[in-house]
Amino acid sequence: MIRRLLAWVLAVAATAGAGVSAQPLAQPLAQPLLDWTEEEVTLIARHGPWPLPPVRDPSNRVSASPAAVRLGEHLFYDTRLSGTGQTSCATCHRPDRNWSDGLARAQGTVELDRRTPSLWNVGYGPWFGWDGAGDSLWAQSIRPILDPREMGAGTGRVAALLREDATLACGYEKAFGDRPGRDDERLLVDAAKALAAFQATLVTPRTPFDVFRDALVNGDRVAAARYPLAAQRGLRLFVGAASCNACHFGPRFTNGEFGDVGIPFFVRPGEVDSGRLGGLARLAGSPFNLLGSHSDDTTGEAGRRTRHVQRLHSNFGEFRVPGLRQTARGGPYMHNGSLASLDDVVRHYSEVSPDRLHSDGVPLVRPLGLSAEEQGDLVAFLRSLDAEVPPRPPVPPLCP
Amino acid sequence: MKLLLALVALVFATPMLAMPALADCPLDLGRGTGWVIFSDHYMLAFRPDPVRVEVGEPFALILNVCTKNDEPAELVAVEAQMPEHKHTMNYKPTIAASSDGRYRVEGLVFHMPGRWELSFDVRAGEETERLSHDIILK
Repeated sequence: MIRRLLAWVLAVAATAGAGVSAQPLAQPLAQPLLDWTEEEVTLIARHGPWPLPPVRDPSNRVSASPAAVRLGEHLFYDTRLSGTGQTSCATCHRPDRNWSDGLARAQGTVELDRRTPSLWNVGYGPWFGWDGAGDSLWAQSIRPILDPREMGAGTGRVAALLREDATLACGYEKAFGDRPGRDDERLLVDAAKALAAFQATLVTPRTPFDVFRDALVNGDRVAAARYPLAAQRGLRLFVGAASCNACHFGPRFTNGEFGDVGIPFFVRPGEVDSGRLGGLARLAGSPFNLLGSHSDDTTGEAGRRTRHVQRLHSNFGEFRVPGLRQTARGGPYMHNGSLASLDDVVRHYSEVSPDRLHSDGVPLVRPLGLSAEEQGDLVAFLRSLDAEVPPRPPVPPLCP
Repeated sequence: MKLLLALVALVFATPMLAMPALADCPLDLGRGTGWVIFSDHYMLAFRPDPVRVEVGEPFALILNVCTKNDEPAELVAVEAQMPEHKHTMNYKPTIAASSDGRYRVEGLVFHMPGRWELSFDVRAGEETERLSHDIILK
């Protein structure tokens, strides 16, 4: 009996041992896989999984409602939301340009001081606009509609459009459950909430990085090794020596906060863009912030950040950390479009002047002094955060 | 059988025996997912809500503070900074005392991975002291 038991134990042990060692021999790796440490795998795992669950904004009662998404999509392309009748949200946030416009500086009724940010994955952020003056996507959507330098439509114009256009009024009723009422400001906010519901659906597809990340986390060395070696080396720099992940953290590759990365903040001689510092002042003064009466959140949870955010001297010259997904297909880069290509961006971080950056401790942004090969590796990694986007279906009719 | 009964009695009696001590200075928040920190004079127990602190996500702390010699103690301020980079949080926490003697500190956000130092200013009478605790976020 004991002999038989011993034989069985030995057989099981032998089988298990063979299983572990045979796998790499049976399926040779297509190309080398870097010897990722446990620590590195943990850091890389934090950049997924992707995609995230769909956005649910408690401050927006029509968030994720299909009828509101449809109304929002129609409004997004409607030039009647502008004072001149010639500009829509899509004039600057073009679907064929990664929901931006490819310009260094946005062009409204005048040229603006900042670049048009892409709308990819915009619904997941806690702060909106380069300076975070918006604390919800719907509040942020109001700003360009009212700004005379951008769309320049008054509150009354938006409200009248929703009331008087039969199709939009029908779409509004489907989304909000009532015909458009007499309160102009409420209709403006509702239009923005429908716009936000639509924009929150703009989510980037899975990328080569996501396939690699999942394979690495699951211990699938064969699948992981299909990820180009240059991208692997760039990723190692990203989460390691270059510490890009200190700010470009998480599945969206942004911590959603703000930083000063050494881009000049003079917009013209004698005039500066104060960035986050000015954004916080505008946030506090906005009747549309999450502490106001237009938020649909009854728990107070949605306004948590707004209630506690503080203005710091260090906010001067800080701008929102952008997500990096699909970014290689965009450009120019940085808040003011001052860098034309991804190569320029990586070179900037390699050579940034420490004199420009003030830090008492270990600086988060410092000249990385990367070799040409390392710069190329970082760019290869950043390009692996992109994927082909399937063509968008035509905008469905609002009310048949 | 007698032995078994004695064991059962001991198991059920133990929490009751511990209760007076918990009532004097309840450190139960420090168990499991929480922490207990102390100095020569103060003891402080706290746990985050939600339990797992995530980079960039708001969280609260629920805590008790007391002195080792049973004087009444209060929580005066809570801050956090990354010592390596010498920067604070972008948010200012608020403190609310609840009727059960606990405090709830709202509005904390650790916006970067790495080492964060939480500082608690506590006071008993005229005497104020700062206790600190490191949390490493990955």
